Amino acid sequence: MSSMAERSIGPRGPRRPNIASANVQLPAVTSYTQVTDEIIATLRPTLAWFTGLGVAITCLVIGAVAWTYQIYMGLGVAGYAPPVMWGVYIINFVFWVGIGHAGTLISAILYLFRAGFRTTIYRCAEAMTVFAVMTAGLFPILHLGRPWKFFWLIAYPNWRLVWPQFKSPLVWDVFAILTYLTVSSTFLYVGLIPDIATLRDRETHPVRKRIFGVLSMGWRNSDREWRHFARAYLFLAAFSTPLVLSVHSVVSFDFAMADVPGWHATIFPPYFVAGAIFSGIGMVFTIIIPIRRWFNLKHYVTLNHLDAAAKLCLFTSQVVGLAYLTEFWIAWYSGSAVEQNYFVNRVLGQWWWAAWIMITCNMFLPMSLFSQRLRRNTTWLFILSLFINLGMWFERFVIIIPSLSHEFEPWQWTRYSPTVIDFCILLGSFGWFSMWFLLFIKQLPVIAIAEVKEIVPPPVRTAHDHGIRITGEHVAFEADTPGEYA
Amino acid sequence: MSEQPESTGVRRREFLKILGATGAATATLGCGTGDVERLIPYLIHPDQTVPGVSSYYATTCRECSNACGVIAEVRDGRTIKLEGNPDHPLNRGALCARGQAALQGLYNPDRYRGPMVRQGGRLVPTTWDQAMQLLVQRIGEARAGGRAANALFLNRHETGSFAAFLDSWLSAMGMPPALSLDVLAQTAVMEANRQSYGIAWPSLDFGAARLIVSFGADFLDDWGATIPQQLDFADARAKLATAPRMIYIGPRRSLTGLNADEWIACKPGAELAIARALQSGAKAGGGDKASVEQAAQQSGVPAAQLQRLAAEIAASKPSLLLAGARTANASELALTINSLNQSLGNVGATVKPTSPITSFDGTTPAAELLAAVERMRSGQVPITFVRGVNPAFTIPRAVDFAGAFARVPFKVAFSSYPDETSEMCDLVLPDHHPLESWGDATPVPGTIGLQQPTMEPVFNTRQTADVLLLAARSGGVAVGAGATTTWRDLFISRIPGGAAALTAALPRGLMPGSLQGAPSRRPAVAPAPTPSPLPPPTESAPGDFYLVVYPSSVLGDGSGANKPWLQELPDPVTKIAWQTWVEIHPLTAARLGIESGDLIRVSGPGGKAVEVPAYVYLGIRQDTVAMAFGRGHSAYGRYAKDVGVNPLDLFASGTDARVAGGGGGGGFAWTQGRVSLAKSDGYMHLATTEGSARQHGRGIGRALTALAGGTMREAAGGEHGEEVAPTGEKGAQTARPGKASAEQAGAETMPGDASHDFLPGLRSPLAADAQGDVASGIERKEGGMYSSQHWSGMAKRRWAMTIDLARCTGCSACVTACYAENNIPTTGAPYQSTAGLSRSATPGHTGLPGSNIVRGREMAWIRLERYYEGGEDGTSSFDTRFVPMLCQHCGNAPCEPVCPVYATYHSPDGLNVQVYNRCVGTRYCSNNCPYKVRYFNWFGYGEPHRAQYAWPEPLHWQLNPDVTVRGKGVMEKCTFCVQRIREAEHRAKAEGRTLVPDEFTVACAQACPSRAITFGDAADAGWTVAQLAQDARAYHVFEELNTYTAVVYLKKVNHPALGPDAEAVGGGT
Repeated sequence: MSSMAERSIGPRGPRRPNIASANVQLPAVTSYTQVTDEIIATLRPTLAWFTGLGVAITCLVIGAVAWTYQIYMGLGVAGYAPPVMWGVYIINFVFWVGIGHAGTLISAILYLFRAGFRTTIYRCAEAMTVFAVMTAGLFPILHLGRPWKFFWLIAYPNWRLVWPQFKSPLVWDVFAILTYLTVSSTFLYVGLIPDIATLRDRETHPVRKRIFGVLSMGWRNSDREWRHFARAYLFLAAFSTPLVLSVHSVVSFDFAMADVPGWHATIFPPYFVAGAIFSGIGMVFTIIIPIRRWFNLKHYVTLNHLDAAAKLCLFTSQVVGLAYLTEFWIAWYSGSAVEQNYFVNRVLGQWWWAAWIMITCNMFLPMSLFSQRLRRNTTWLFILSLFINLGMWFERFVIIIPSLSHEFEPWQWTRYSPTVIDFCILLGSFGWFSMWFLLFIKQLPVIAIAEVKEIVPPPVRTAHDHGIRITGEHVAFEADTPGEYA
Repeated sequence: MSEQPESTGVRRREFLKILGATGAATATLGCGTGDVERLIPYLIHPDQTVPGVSSYYATTCRECSNACGVIAEVRDGRTIKLEGNPDHPLNRGALCARGQAALQGLYNPDRYRGPMVRQGGRLVPTTWDQAMQLLVQRIGEARAGGRAANALFLNRHETGSFAAFLDSWLSAMGMPPALSLDVLAQTAVMEANRQSYGIAWPSLDFGAARLIVSFGADFLDDWGATIPQQLDFADARAKLATAPRMIYIGPRRSLTGLNADEWIACKPGAELAIARALQSGAKAGGGDKASVEQAAQQSGVPAAQLQRLAAEIAASKPSLLLAGARTANASELALTINSLNQSLGNVGATVKPTSPITSFDGTTPAAELLAAVERMRSGQVPITFVRGVNPAFTIPRAVDFAGAFARVPFKVAFSSYPDETSEMCDLVLPDHHPLESWGDATPVPGTIGLQQPTMEPVFNTRQTADVLLLAARSGGVAVGAGATTTWRDLFISRIPGGAAALTAALPRGLMPGSLQGAPSRRPAVAPAPTPSPLPPPTESAPGDFYLVVYPSSVLGDGSGANKPWLQELPDPVTKIAWQTWVEIHPLTAARLGIESGDLIRVSGPGGKAVEVPAYVYLGIRQDTVAMAFGRGHSAYGRYAKDVGVNPLDLFASGTDARVAGGGGGGGFAWTQGRVSLAKSDGYMHLATTEGSARQHGRGIGRALTALAGGTMREAAGGEHGEEVAPTGEKGAQTARPGKASAEQAGAETMPGDASHDFLPGLRSPLAADAQGDVASGIERKEGGMYSSQHWSGMAKRRWAMTIDLARCTGCSACVTACYAENNIPTTGAPYQSTAGLSRSATPGHTGLPGSNIVRGREMAWIRLERYYEGGEDGTSSFDTRFVPMLCQHCGNAPCEPVCPVYATYHSPDGLNVQVYNRCVGTRYCSNNCPYKVRYFNWFGYGEPHRAQYAWPEPLHWQLNPDVTVRGKGVMEKCTFCVQRIREAEHRAKAEGRTLVPDEFTVACAQACPSRAITFGDAADAGWTVAQLAQDARAYHVFEELNTYTAVVYLKKVNHPALGPDAEAVGGGT
């Protein structure tokens, strides 16, 4: 294997390791103690964190007040303009569900595929998933005409003997979202157990120690526990994997099962899944890049990791772009005048701006990631991730609004514009998500301590030659700034 | 156990005490009844009524001069619905939107609730005793001063015994006869008719005509006896291939104009030039080239088109020529048309002076009103009475009625509403609403239309006749025959046959004969007008336009503006509600850089200006703009005040408001003004229900073109071009047994014809399957409700509807009927807009009338779509398709499977049912509805404590008790009037019989003055609808979606000019 390391130095200078394999090293991380110390150090609250939390809660309160007002007045305070019966809330719903997808993809699928670059970012992505699904789950309730009756959508035995309509994709949504929330939060929690045990061992405050003690389920770091843990983790990863595909497929059925031009398409499930992964990775960048800077974790979340994630981002972007083009092709090939007319209206008619925001942000801008230099430029990645978030929000806008406003009946063609209430609730959803995430990163490690330790050189092994000399010297890493790993 | 431990908490006894006390308190609070709600207004109900069962009273509608017969449905002492009286000679069971909305006048929340007197500059409530005392005193003063002869009584025009009584009362008081006012009356035409035929209004036989030519006569909007005209016109058009062709001549295509096959867009006022050219041509026995050239030059119409018009008129006998422009030369036009009709041999054939309509007899021409205004201005008039009219609004402001009226020392209003005129008065003695009053009308000679109270008065009002009688008695003046004390007694005494005859006649609302002492008033015959030279319409400079002001066909003379149903009803032509707009031709708009919604400053010659949004309208000349009259009140209650603008304000001088005709017999000339347009900064979203006015080839409103020889061809907008044979009126009569004859006619190739296989719907593979019980013909052993073997037999029926587009004129009466029947909330009132919060995001949406409609949130379960075919290049040659669109009650409904909570499902008898209580408001059903006929309660329109409540007290008295009022957050839609279906079924069951075909119908079909809508059971061949559904013209909208709809449309039939040069000029198709 040392020959492999040598081979990686090519004629054009040093080449990067195969980061899609397990060979992702953290050259600046040398000991278990360093890992534990540095990661636990991130849990100390700072003034900036309190400020951020305050902003998040303020946003949440704004959204909550707007929702209360909306419940009191009626949905008319939002921007709905029939026949645009679904608006910003469903856009937000699909947007947040989509964001919730990358987490499980990274933590579960990449785990199964042994993609090593996931190790340092998966915890962050998985937490993002849980909170994004929690956020997304609010919106179907938020958008109901009578939100206090939301439980009628849930299938439970009742004396009225009335069951939900199992033909309705909205009922499938209920099952899909609740299943996904359950499994992904379980997965997150199970992965956290060894780390919580570490926290417990370091905790001095008796109450917190007790709480961590309960949460760690009495983890004692025994071989037996590790064996069970590994089995459970593998099982949950395998169990989550089909959910990644199914949940957004089910969400896409909300649209694909309807007869609305622009919705009624078989391409929707794969298209939505790809879009969801794309948007999720975008959101991971938005979150992880500031965290690695502010928490001094650059030597954990290395440029190699980001580079690999950016390649996944690029790939899903191209899948999404292909889906866009396929939609147009199908519309043309269908020969259906209604469908064709709708797509022309989408890109050249009243909604051209939204469609071009979507295409630019999701298809063209991510093409910059073909450049390795930009893949390793965290500033660009961060800016790009904001564009991806915007573009993916507009993708859902473009799917929902132009379709509903330009259906079969020309007499009922209409326009749509959100109101202040719509935006307040959108803001509130970011507040809700950010609040949970901020609380999370100061209570529990944002990087999996136990898993990182698996890839740092074990103290006993440093003297031995196991085929890999992990010293950090055999591969030259490009740092984006001098002293990147210092 | 020796020591009781020291207890720190609550002892057992204390606990029990607290529990007892709080429990009792909670229970006591729970017993509170809160608001006591009375389900039944009657505590002890009258003998003949049963709580919950309707009584019906025949009476007379007084919303316009026509005086149609109506039947009022009264439930537990409250009038809840008006429908046309089927026996009435005028309306024959139909009722227009204005008539339907009379209820909202009755229950108007802004009605005067009792007498009012002016004190300290304000009207304050008073008692009837004090008010009467003041009235008697002031009348006495006027009489004592010898000035009573100068008194004025401005009365709403009506025929019948009240008018006669009023004149006798006035003469007993030494006062001149009342002015009988109707600002919409075609007094110029009436005067011409009197000269030509000796009667004011002949009946018209549209069916006998082979060609109808309207010179600005909007006989479907406001011209003459609109309802009978519409009935006859629709019947005539239902003859399909052999129906009369219609040509409309005028600067603007009104609703009547849109129903014409061809539009000759002449300059305003140039109708006369065309008529004269035709006249001289008729005299010359063919075409008079010179006069046609002259007319072409004056009217701005190609000479070839006029030449062909002349040829067509000469070739089509009998024809029917109608005059009705509101221009300064209206009288000459009417006389010319009358003489043309005479010379063409139409009189007696299509114009029937021998069977006149007498509703308009005795209307005061505008000249007399202007003279009265001048008398008031001179200060001679000591006292003025106003009843049922609002001249301060309806007379052009340039006349300054208000200024003259203010000079009258004592002004008495008998108005029910705080309108502009009554708000100026010193004493308000509110009259009963016509639905609370006794009276009568004379619609046609030899028939008395009776008017009776349908319920106890809503407010503390008194019928004006009683007030007058009391005033006379108090003043010591004897009026009428003998010592009758009340108007009711006096009225009965005038009825031939007295009380017994009246009692016998009241159930029908009609009696033969004529009233004793009926007024024989006839205005002095004006001298025959000398044919004055036509004022040549001048060429318009850029930004300088002719102004056509026309009365809104739904708001009438503006008296409809305080009724939210009428404000909410989109204008049948422009589809705008709650706003005033200015219509501009697309090419003109493009030239001036104007788009629909841009605020336009319209300036009259005197500098008077109004600012209104533009509406780009294909049906107007390029050198002309038009505005509707009816909105722009500065008073008149919450629904009318500050809603829209009044275009009559633009008339700056008396010359613009000049009286039509030289003889003084005409009305106000509304279409001779000239205005300039300037685009101002700003934009106002139009409160329109129109999305795209084009069908984009989707075949929603389809049409056939009648060809020579009685065949028809698919017209533009359809997908096929095969020729088919007509199946005659009511296609079914000749088409039955339908299938066979349709095949003979080659109808199989027509779009929609394939649907014949599943038209009755029961044969639809999925019709009964929304619940999954009998999918694909698999029936469960025990046989559910959806099984045709089920004991209820529900699945044997398939409720369905046909809509004949050849009949539909787009008048929208069905829409208002649906509002009335189904408790549909209106959403556009200014107070219903959401103030504040949405302003920044969407300017123009808030605090404004119609803001909810701007957002597309109108709730009309049935709407009138109006599509154009042709005319994309701005030419006058385009075809209009009116398509009433309502829930199609699909057999395979897209809305049903997507509802997660089963709020919408399929009933065994084919209805697509919406369960309001089950709905949680996901609105997925609406997304999935291709027809977009589901409506959502965005606000608490039906909840009294909400700001958006649609029926402020006592408007909610109108609500139909059979129909749920929907709360916020639920979806609603057309139910096919399921309450009527079930009522009929229950009645039949109670009587131990099965339903008789055509036993009942739904509200829209009942009201339709074109008889375009037919409802019934398509699975039972006995029903008319089952026969009509077999017509060769039948089609489903969007049948390619396999929705298996229960609503079947029958194609419209267009009639292009048939002749060698017809194609060159275009025939409107």
